[in-house]
Amino acid sequence: MTTAGAMEADPGDLAPVRAGIASYYSAKVAKFGATPLGVDWSCVPTQELRFVKLLKLCDFSSPFSCNDLGCGYGALIAYLDQRHADCAIDYVGIDLSEAMLRRARRLWRNRANVSFVLGHANPRVADYSVASGIFNVQLDQPLAIWERFVAETLDQLHRTSSRGFAVNFMKAPAGGKPDRKGLYSTQPDRWVRYCADRFGSAAEVLDNYGLREYTLIVRRQPNICDDIIWQ
Amino acid sequence: MGALMADDDIYIGTLMDQFNLRFGASQKDAELTGGGHNEIAVLQDEFKIFRTDRTFAQSARLLGLGGLQNNRAKNRWFNLLDVLPKLGSDKAGETGDQRIVNALIANFAPGGKLLPCFMKAHDSRDSKYGPIVIVTEGDRPIFYIEKDYLTISLPMKPGGKPA
Repeated sequence: MTTAGAMEADPGDLAPVRAGIASYYSAKVAKFGATPLGVDWSCVPTQELRFVKLLKLCDFSSPFSCNDLGCGYGALIAYLDQRHADCAIDYVGIDLSEAMLRRARRLWRNRANVSFVLGHANPRVADYSVASGIFNVQLDQPLAIWERFVAETLDQLHRTSSRGFAVNFMKAPAGGKPDRKGLYSTQPDRWVRYCADRFGSAAEVLDNYGLREYTLIVRRQPNICDDIIWQ
Repeated sequence: MGALMADDDIYIGTLMDQFNLRFGASQKDAELTGGGHNEIAVLQDEFKIFRTDRTFAQSARLLGLGGLQNNRAKNRWFNLLDVLPKLGSDKAGETGDQRIVNALIANFAPGGKLLPCFMKAHDSRDSKYGPIVIVTEGDRPIFYIEKDYLTISLPMKPGGKPA
C-alpha cells in the first residue's frame, strides 16, 4: 500500500497495517532464519535484555500463563528455560507471520505447555502478556493509523491479561526530532497517559538500560480486574 | 593475522568497525538503534558476555560482530579471532586473547572506567610493536574525537604466515 493510499483508508481498518507487518517479518525470517536478525534484533544479548525488562512484570514464585504477542520464532521460550526453568509457564505465542510461526512450531514441536497461534490478538486470557518490539516498525503507515494500531493492541493486551502486560517502545530522539523513516518512536508520557486514562493503571516505565528504548509495565488493579476480564 | 582473511582482507576495516560502532561512545541523540558502550556495559552486567572462561572470539560471535551479508568473510574473521589465544600480549603472563578479555571485563565492571573501545591493527613486522596484542587504556585513537578510549590493537602483516 502506498502512503497516500493508506491515508485515504478508514483509520479503523487495521488489516492493511497487519498485512504489512506480516509481510515484513516473513521476509526477515526468510533471509535470516530463526535468529535474532530474523526478528530484527542485532544479537541474542540485546534480544534477551528486552526479555529481562519485560519479565519484570511477572511473579516467578508460582506457575502462571503467558501470552507472547508478536512471538516470532519463540525466542522467549529459550530465555525462560535459561533463567526461569524452575517455574512452570503455560505459554501461547501469537504472530502475524505464518512463515515465522512455521519456524516456531518446528523449533518447539515437542514442547509441552507451548502453543502458537496465527493472528493479531491473544486467543485467551492469561495471567500475563508480553510483546517485544511490535510497535517499532511502522513501515510506510501514517502516524495516526500506526498509533491507532498501538492503542488497539494495548487495549486487547489489557483485555486478555488478568495480572498485567508489558510492552516496549523505541525512545524518540531528543528535541522532538523525527526518527528514521519507517520506525515509530515516542516518549513514555504518551502511552503512560493512555494506560492511566483507559485502564486506570499506573504504568511503570523502565528506562536507561543501554538501549534507545523503554519498557512499560502495566499491572492490573486487583479491584477492577474481574469487571473487565470476564465481561 | 591478516593473511587468515585471504582476499577478504579488504573487509578487515569494516569488521573492526562493527566492533567500533557497538563499543564506541554512546550517542545522546542518535538515529542508531545500538547504544554504544553504555549498551555493552548493561549487557555485560546482565549476561557476563566477557568472561575468563570464554574467548573473545566466542563473545564476538555472541554479539554478532561478523557482519550480516558475507558469510565467508564473517567466518574468516572469527577464525582470525580464534588465533588470539596463541598470540602474546603487551602484558606479561597474558595471551592476546586474555589481554583483551580481561581488559574488557575490567572496563565494563561496576566501578570500572567504562571507556568506549576502539579496535585497530598495527604492523607486526615493526619491531616497535611486534606480533602481539596491544591494549591501551585512556588512549585517543581517533584524533578528531576528544574522548579517552580503551584501544585494542591486533597485529597484522600482509600475506605469508599468520602472525
